[in-house]
Amino acid sequence: MIYLKNILRTVLLSAMAFTVSACGEDEPLTEGTEPKLRRLTEQQYRNSISDVFGGNIIVAGRFDPLERIDGLLALGASSATITPAALERYEAMARSIALQVVDEENRKVLVSCAPAASNTRDDACANTFISSVGKFLFRRPLTGSEQTLYTNLSGAGAEGLGDFYQGLGYGLTGLMVSPKFLYINETAAPAPDGLHQLDGYSKASRLSFLLWNTTPDAVLLDAAAAGELDTKDGLEKQFNRMMTSSRVEHGVASFFEDMLEFERFDILEKDPVIYPAFILNVTEDAKEQTLRTLTQVLIEDKSDYRDIFTTRKTFISGDLGPIYRVPIENPEGWMPYEFPEASPWAGIQTHLSFQALFSHPGKSSPTLRGQAVRESLLCQKIPEPPGDVDFADFNDDANQINKTARQRLDVHNKEASCAGCHKLMDPIGLAMETFDGAGQLRTTENGVKIDTSGELDGITYENAVGLGQALRQNASAPACFTNRLYAYGTGHSPTRSERQWMGYLEGKFAAAGYRVPELLMEMVLSDAFYRVVPPSLDTNTADAGIISAKETKL
Amino acid sequence: MKKNMNLRAASAIGALALGTISATATTAEVDTERTIGLVVVSFYTSVYETKYMEECPRGLAIGNDEIWWKSLEPGIRDELTNGGDIEPVTGTRRAMSAKRGPNGEDVCAIPTIVQDPPHKTVQGSISYGMDLDGLSEGAATPKTCSHKNFTSPDGQAGIDNQMYRLLGCTFGWRDSGYVETNANGELIDTSQGVILIEVSDVDDKHNDGDVTVRMYRANDVFPKGAQGNVLPYASYRVHDIPGYGNAAKGRIVDGVLSTDPIEAFLPYYGNLTHSEIHLRDMRMELDLEASEDRAKGIIAGYRDVENFWSYFRKGGYMAVTGQFSCPSMYVAAHELADGYPDPETGECTALSSSYTIETIPAFIIRPEQDDLKTSEVIAMPDTMQLATRGE
Amino acid sequence: MTLSRRSFLRGTVAGSAVALGLPFLDCFLNDNGTALASGAPIPVRFGSWFWGLGHTPGRGIAMDGKPGITFLEETQPLVPHADDLNYFNAFNTPLDGRPSAVHFTGWVAAKTGNVPRTFGDTPEPTLDVIIADQIGSETRFRSLDLSSTGSARDSYTFRNSTSRNAADVSPLAFYQRVFGAGFVDPNQADFTPAPSVMVRSSVLSAVHEESKDFLRTLGASDRARMDEYFTSIRQLEHQLALQMEKPDVSEACGIPTPPPEGEVLGIEIDVVKNNHKLLTDILVMALACNQTRVFNMLYSQALSMVRRRGESFTHHTLTHEEPIDASLGYQREVAKLHVHSMEALATFIQAFKDIREGDGTLLDNTLIFANSDTGNSRVHSVDNIPVMMIGKAGGRLKTGMHIAGNGDPITRIGLTAMQVMGIPVERWGTGSIETTKTISEILV
Repeated sequence: MIYLKNILRTVLLSAMAFTVSACGEDEPLTEGTEPKLRRLTEQQYRNSISDVFGGNIIVAGRFDPLERIDGLLALGASSATITPAALERYEAMARSIALQVVDEENRKVLVSCAPAASNTRDDACANTFISSVGKFLFRRPLTGSEQTLYTNLSGAGAEGLGDFYQGLGYGLTGLMVSPKFLYINETAAPAPDGLHQLDGYSKASRLSFLLWNTTPDAVLLDAAAAGELDTKDGLEKQFNRMMTSSRVEHGVASFFEDMLEFERFDILEKDPVIYPAFILNVTEDAKEQTLRTLTQVLIEDKSDYRDIFTTRKTFISGDLGPIYRVPIENPEGWMPYEFPEASPWAGIQTHLSFQALFSHPGKSSPTLRGQAVRESLLCQKIPEPPGDVDFADFNDDANQINKTARQRLDVHNKEASCAGCHKLMDPIGLAMETFDGAGQLRTTENGVKIDTSGELDGITYENAVGLGQALRQNASAPACFTNRLYAYGTGHSPTRSERQWMGYLEGKFAAAGYRVPELLMEMVLSDAFYRVVPPSLDTNTADAGIISAKETKL
Repeated sequence: MKKNMNLRAASAIGALALGTISATATTAEVDTERTIGLVVVSFYTSVYETKYMEECPRGLAIGNDEIWWKSLEPGIRDELTNGGDIEPVTGTRRAMSAKRGPNGEDVCAIPTIVQDPPHKTVQGSISYGMDLDGLSEGAATPKTCSHKNFTSPDGQAGIDNQMYRLLGCTFGWRDSGYVETNANGELIDTSQGVILIEVSDVDDKHNDGDVTVRMYRANDVFPKGAQGNVLPYASYRVHDIPGYGNAAKGRIVDGVLSTDPIEAFLPYYGNLTHSEIHLRDMRMELDLEASEDRAKGIIAGYRDVENFWSYFRKGGYMAVTGQFSCPSMYVAAHELADGYPDPETGECTALSSSYTIETIPAFIIRPEQDDLKTSEVIAMPDTMQLATRGE
Repeated sequence: MTLSRRSFLRGTVAGSAVALGLPFLDCFLNDNGTALASGAPIPVRFGSWFWGLGHTPGRGIAMDGKPGITFLEETQPLVPHADDLNYFNAFNTPLDGRPSAVHFTGWVAAKTGNVPRTFGDTPEPTLDVIIADQIGSETRFRSLDLSSTGSARDSYTFRNSTSRNAADVSPLAFYQRVFGAGFVDPNQADFTPAPSVMVRSSVLSAVHEESKDFLRTLGASDRARMDEYFTSIRQLEHQLALQMEKPDVSEACGIPTPPPEGEVLGIEIDVVKNNHKLLTDILVMALACNQTRVFNMLYSQALSMVRRRGESFTHHTLTHEEPIDASLGYQREVAKLHVHSMEALATFIQAFKDIREGDGTLLDNTLIFANSDTGNSRVHSVDNIPVMMIGKAGGRLKTGMHIAGNGDPITRIGLTAMQVMGIPVERWGTGSIETTKTISEILV
């Protein structure tokens, strides 16, 4: 049965291959994948709450970590579950948020109607509140039955607690515990070309989480309701609107935080004896420095993507001043700064963030840094180390003479089972050895001058700045970025059927001078970005769960 | 530099607030190529000690507490120590022990109110410091009073350091002493009284015949590393109190910076007391290459005695922790003074002094030169709980 | 004295045992202190404890064939607990041609019965999850999962690759979670269920109800995830139901003092051991108060990043980079850190022994499955991984024995543990490590 379906699909596709699609006349057709529930990330959750209820609502609590799949946490979200412990945390968080929203101060602003009596239910007012808030939490208008259920819940709560607002708070809690809030749910709808695409509200979600990393705003939802997102013009209008907002910087920063594995900052530790300058503030600022640099260069300046490996432009804060040895006029806040021509700092791969993140707590690591460049920046997976490595040969007295990392790592080159992978990583990391484990500058190690020369896929360099130039010329870099951006935006890794489309997209990126806003536009206005296959539904619609044995009922 | 008395008086009325760079000041761009910025992280009176205290043949100075204690009736002594069970002078009693004037006056605030035994002064012949009067013997001159000279530890004769003579046999200033160790700890902990040294117009950081040196009070806190150490290469804005920023001419020879004499006011904070150090003919000698990221050297000059004394007026407890008698030391300070005779009395009003400092690299963020009133020497505002400048 | 009506609410689980969600009172026990007055046994708890990098070969337990356990240098801290544990070694993990993912394959095989195809591949649940599915739904928490390293990701308990239990890492937060607002003190004089608890419960019930229609719109893998969501809802509903009943007074249960403010999380050895102790102290009281029956504690990761301040090495990098000391014949600093791991385990065991329960201690009613990831960290060997079962599991286990596996699959140990916990399983594992052979020598 499934086999036949596939044949049918292939026939249909090839028939469609020459159909002119509304945008990008030569945009290759893609099959799409089944939509997957995507669990809200911590940042998306926080942004949603902040956007719906305002920034003074405190969101306290822990979020479960996501798995990194195919290089992105965003892909981990597409398979993430909600364990009992996680739900316990979500429920506590939801309650805390809800009770803040309805407290005496906030209700004046956030609850637009007033109940007839404050000590009992008022379904009319509850209904108004639930419907307006629910639309933003579920990212689409509530259905009639959802509406009824949550209004009833608020009412029953009001009666049980003798307080309209408390009751309303519990109705709101329910909305925030629902999987329809905790997961971004995408719905398939028929497309004009006979295949399927995301429905308007799902498109709104995709657009909003990609560009602003938050729940769709009212304008976007209205556009979805009016069917505007089903037209290229409507999409473009929203895209342009959203790109002019400063919120796009946050959205782009969120993407890079994922791509560059910045969640590692949460557990980053540097030895306080070996690196006394590396204090907590430095860690936080290091991350922000790189993210600000990226958004400035790529979104504000609209520069070539590949400039991120060579740019000397950045931002410095008071806490980073001593590390980079740069005078800071005002220690509070950030100042734009351009490293001088001969500076060893050029390109994000030289930033404190990258150097410190991919090192050990007490020393640098050329292998970790090389691996990070390959995997994060070039999307080249390094195979796992073999299990049976014996270091006995390498731990003899002869090694007392190895003073630099380059000398110590040379053993990798001598052993056949090591050399294959290490030659992909070590030369890259060795270029960065003039940055110690905390990203600080040094010229010697154990009294020996550090040799930072090497070669990346055929291009030689003398130091980390030269490495940046080599990265700039590496075809994998923009391809990797395109790949990651698309995966991040859609929640799935590009499939085989999307290969042609990815090639096309990469070509467009190049033609646009590798300008990220243009890549975003190309992606967001495409058919592929919203192409889905309807999910294979369960024909057995019986209740999936055991009905809980509840003693008390409201 | 001439003092403009009128301007000092006018500005002493707290007209200047302890604030950030004033709105009208524009920030000079930091010229990292031709400027060396330093921040002082260690500031001690230069005290030369030998292992067996040879420079103090009569022992160390007696502490204020001992004098007070001895002045009490036995019955009262018993009462105060629960029959000898507890230590007599601790905590608040330290300050109390200074209130032994005939009517309970604080003898550190009014050191002439009682007469204590003579202060024990240094009898040795070796000291750190500089030859301030240019004479190898301490003969009197129109600007100085007669005094003995020292020889430096590396053999240089003619060292003028009456301050060492005054403090060198007082426990609080010696290596194991409390007064300055404590003050330095507070300097690092609180970032109060931070001195910035800016060496500009530098063409060659190892040898340069003509550089300019300015000293400022910092207006930013020390950034600390994980071990509590102060981080080098931090940036410090300067206080816009124009008393600082006096420019001295200097030179660097084989990595050692030295400056021509100027009048200087240096911020100082320690032992919970804000004050400043008023030095005339202030000179600096700083080895910029002493060790990696650390310069070491001395600042020398004539320390105004009343300015020196102002530090102790409200700090009676220091006479206990530092082990000296305020009246004794005050008398000795005036007797030992060797600089700037009072035109009327002929008595010298300043002590030749030397301070040992260590610095780490810093970036100094200051207003454009025009905004600094470098030609004036203006008083610090009273709002800073300062001692008065001796008149 | 009457049993609370709640004892009749839940029906039977795992055969005839009545699983009470109640903290324990001696008057429920029979004269032997081993069973309830009703004849049902004291609930047996199950937990895991993990440490990375194993022992230095030849310095763990002697393979001397003598009866009992011969503790060598690195396991000396466990000597006081010799009578409470069984030690297993010389069990192997044949890989069926799959590569050995370093610091991964070993513990994954031991805890899930499946040899991963690559790093990150964990299609099967860890045995604590299987056990929690059986005995965990009756208590407030299905399981309590902890890590001493400060990172929630350092948690080796999961249902599959995408459903992993994140660890609690902060002693302060863990304390609040167990003994904060949701804790019902069994020893409190009066008890009034907060009305908000009932409302919270009805919220969950409503959400559960209206999510069912959601299910119909989803594809297969998403439906599976929703199943887990519903399980989680049910667990939370149960947790709230417990809060609406007055639990009986319990002697063993007491609210511990909260951990001190200003906590530090991280991987410096002193910090890890300190947090390990703080978390353990809260955990054992949580068990004594029957807040859960299943727990997991990770002391150090398989790639143990535990380190000393001022050293540029971590425990793991030391295993590869420290030269073998010519006079000692082993890696000196590595060995010291191995000893620290065993000291921590000894602390863990002692905390269980310090809680009196019935005739004996909490440890007597617990089974701790402690294991590492490798039999020789320098070469990442997945054979001869050290494993221990600690505690008497409510009288079901003999202890004080050293079981040498003769190269048998390591899954025999996990199989036996699950059977001891009453899981109806007679075959466990896949490929060459599939086994049906219980280690009957340790069964009573």
